[in-house]
Amino acid sequence: MKKASLIAFTAATLFTGAALANAVVGQPAPAFTATDLAGKPVSLADFKGKTVVLEWHNFGCPFVQKHYKSGNMQALQKKYGTEVVWLTVNSTNAGHQDYQSPAVLTKALADAGAAPTRFVMDEPGTVGRAYGAKVTPHMYVIDPAGKVAYNGAIDDKRSANVEDVKGARNFVVAALEELKAGKPVSNASNAPYGCTIKYK
Amino acid sequence: MTLSLPDSLGRLAALFLALAAGLAAQAAPVRTEHVQAELHAERAAATPGKPALVGLRLRMDEHWHTYWRNPGDSGLPTKIRWTLPEGWKAGPIQWPYPEAQRVGPLLNYGYSGEVMLLTELTPPADAKPGPVALKADADWLVCKDICIPEKAALALDFAVAEGEAAPVAANTELFAKARAQLPADPSGWTAEAARAGNTLTVRVVPAGGAVAPAKVLYFPFRENFIDHPAPQVMARDGNGFRLALKLVEPVPEGIANADGVFVAESAWPGVSGRKAVSLAVPVVAALPTPAAPVAVPAGETGGSLALALVFAFAGGLLLNLMPCVFPVLGIKVMGFVRHAHGDARALWMQGVVFSVGVLVSFLVLAGLLLALRAGGAELGWGFQLQSPAFVALLAALFFLMALNLFGVFEWGGFAQSMTSNISAQGRYADAFLAGVLATLVATPCTAPFMGAAVGFTLAQPAAVSLGVFAMLGAGMALPVLALSLFPKALARLPKPGPWMETFKQVMAFPLFATVIWLAWVLGAQAGNDAVLSLFAGLLLLGVGAWIYGRWARSESLLRFVFAAAFAAAGLWLSWPGANVAAPGEAAPTAAKPGEIPWQPWTPERLAELRTAGAPVFVDFTAAWCVTCQVNKRVALNREEVVRAFADRGIVPLKADWTNHDPRITAALAELGRNALPVYALYAPGQAQPTLLPEVLTASLIIDEISKLPAARPVATANPNPR
Repeated sequence: MKKASLIAFTAATLFTGAALANAVVGQPAPAFTATDLAGKPVSLADFKGKTVVLEWHNFGCPFVQKHYKSGNMQALQKKYGTEVVWLTVNSTNAGHQDYQSPAVLTKALADAGAAPTRFVMDEPGTVGRAYGAKVTPHMYVIDPAGKVAYNGAIDDKRSANVEDVKGARNFVVAALEELKAGKPVSNASNAPYGCTIKYK
Repeated sequence: MTLSLPDSLGRLAALFLALAAGLAAQAAPVRTEHVQAELHAERAAATPGKPALVGLRLRMDEHWHTYWRNPGDSGLPTKIRWTLPEGWKAGPIQWPYPEAQRVGPLLNYGYSGEVMLLTELTPPADAKPGPVALKADADWLVCKDICIPEKAALALDFAVAEGEAAPVAANTELFAKARAQLPADPSGWTAEAARAGNTLTVRVVPAGGAVAPAKVLYFPFRENFIDHPAPQVMARDGNGFRLALKLVEPVPEGIANADGVFVAESAWPGVSGRKAVSLAVPVVAALPTPAAPVAVPAGETGGSLALALVFAFAGGLLLNLMPCVFPVLGIKVMGFVRHAHGDARALWMQGVVFSVGVLVSFLVLAGLLLALRAGGAELGWGFQLQSPAFVALLAALFFLMALNLFGVFEWGGFAQSMTSNISAQGRYADAFLAGVLATLVATPCTAPFMGAAVGFTLAQPAAVSLGVFAMLGAGMALPVLALSLFPKALARLPKPGPWMETFKQVMAFPLFATVIWLAWVLGAQAGNDAVLSLFAGLLLLGVGAWIYGRWARSESLLRFVFAAAFAAAGLWLSWPGANVAAPGEAAPTAAKPGEIPWQPWTPERLAELRTAGAPVFVDFTAAWCVTCQVNKRVALNREEVVRAFADRGIVPLKADWTNHDPRITAALAELGRNALPVYALYAPGQAQPTLLPEVLTASLIIDEISKLPAARPVATANPNPR
């Protein structure tokens, strides 16, 4: 039995190879350590016992622009900023035209009025791959027990149209409110929408 | 009854309007940053109450793509919002089948180049004839490295007319093409799926016993359902197949169907050549036990029967020029020289008997191959040389032939004693044997057409297989037969004389060269010790042959006893044991500078590299494949090729088929081949590899490589690079 599972594990590892892993709802969130815009280390372990939101980000992506131009993302970051840890993660590789250096990003975020708790530079893409982040914005919620509570789209209007932010059902808000009320997250897993993450 | 004037005038006016509309039924295209969008109507006008077909044609800039209804891991499907006159109804978009587009570790479903999205627009039954303006707001996401949402407000000047309007001539081809790209909706097919763990197995069986194509990709309608980039593992099931698909995690619960589109590499049976079918796939508790596979039929490897026969014939002709047939060709030429002074009829008979020998052996080989195929053995052309025993036996045979040419011993008495004592029959037996031998030796050297021709053959009903093999044989025998029919051409051959003995002896050297090559093949298969055994065996065989020849005039039984004893001991020694090196066991030798740094091929390694978005070049090769060795030297190991590989970051994988490896056999079958060499270049983001010709040149490889997108750093997330 042990041997069989070992073989299965090895086969699965071989098969997946460089492919994406996945942060499965109900399972422990993959641990990571990366650096923030100031070059300081950021670790998921730093936020033990807290609810953590992960937001995959790329200002070059029209779907991300939709939520920043409308002020939607900043409003969420501010609204939940006191209750949860909001980590905005950028996995764009340095060779891509969408890549922005920490200095450029710092200014762009300030101009946009963004207010994440920390901004995670994931240029090698290791955090993104560990979570199986596919698109920007791909959203995750990690509960205080360190388990993935939500994995999916930001809302139900799958478009890059700024007008669509109004009247959209925001899945992250729903998940955070349910968590706060001590209820299970009803829509915990769905297909995210957005631009492909520009992995290395 | 006559029409009142105003009524007929009205009709006439409507007709003119319809004609005018016909001219205008094509609206001005809208150009966005990366797409040219345009509405087209199939017919000049719509008939009241009947659906009219219109299409949104999107022409994307090179390397940019738009998305299917399920866009895959990212992207968005194109949307059309129609603004139509009162009472008109618009149907849903009829999506053409998509292509799989790999982006790094992700997979999208979409379109590149151009796409025509068809929609049925139905005017109300009481629509008045006359012009109508149709408007559509189209939204799409167009992506390359980056994604841009674009939109266009499109208009189409259309019309309503009584009776069916004529098709718009300029659009006929466009709509025919668009229709051909719609998935067919076949009836009577079985399609069902069952889940076990995180694997969903989909079973598809075409109606009426029609055989499903060899390669099929599944595109689910549902998003967040299957793991898009995971390999789809296909297995045959009767005349249909099964696809094992990895589901997303967490595994979606309570899903009642896996409806989707199945896209074949070539065409599906029974749906007038369409490449895609759309099937409702209910999820059931369990699938039935798989049925015995039915071979994939004609046309699958892309050739009609007639074409395959022509190719087979040409391939057979070319076999005469292949390096490993050359020694036997020498024997044949020598035979002509020897018999040129004989009468024409005897000569012609020799040619016929030789041809019969070739044909019979090809047919026997086909029969054998068919029998083995029926037995389910995964075998390919050239498989004989994958057996070390066969290689050793062939080496012994060639060694004996060479000794014979040297004059160590003569067949003469032997052959005659085997047949009857009519002198001519020895010659016929020789000719027949020469034909058999020529065939046997030709098998590993597949001339350029052979791969496809035999690949086609093995997937055919038995009668077709035999036909193709017969044509191969005919092609191979033709030059010899022609020479024997027109002995005048033979007159141009040198006159017989003492030089013939010299010539005969010289002919022994190519045979010895073949023995060396076979010994090398054996070494690659079974190691150094096997080569030593072979040589020791050949030595004893030589002694036996020498005894047989030295005392040729002796009537003593001892001559036969000793000759046979030595020959038997020699054969016993040269027979390789079961200690064949397992494929892949031999450690790949470190690449010398200036050579391509090959890595061993495994299906997993290939899948892994492709998932990582790396361009991969697979060399399907074997020690016994002469063309492969030639290509290696004259093309692959050329400095500029090695540099091009490095510059483009191409990962070179070597699939060594020197020993039988069912995984390689299966991989070749997937490419529609079963003979070597095969060179497959996998470009990132493309579902299918480019197959390079069997005969390579450096410039040809570089041309193919330069078609790849510019090199990007390859993902290095694999923690254990092997």
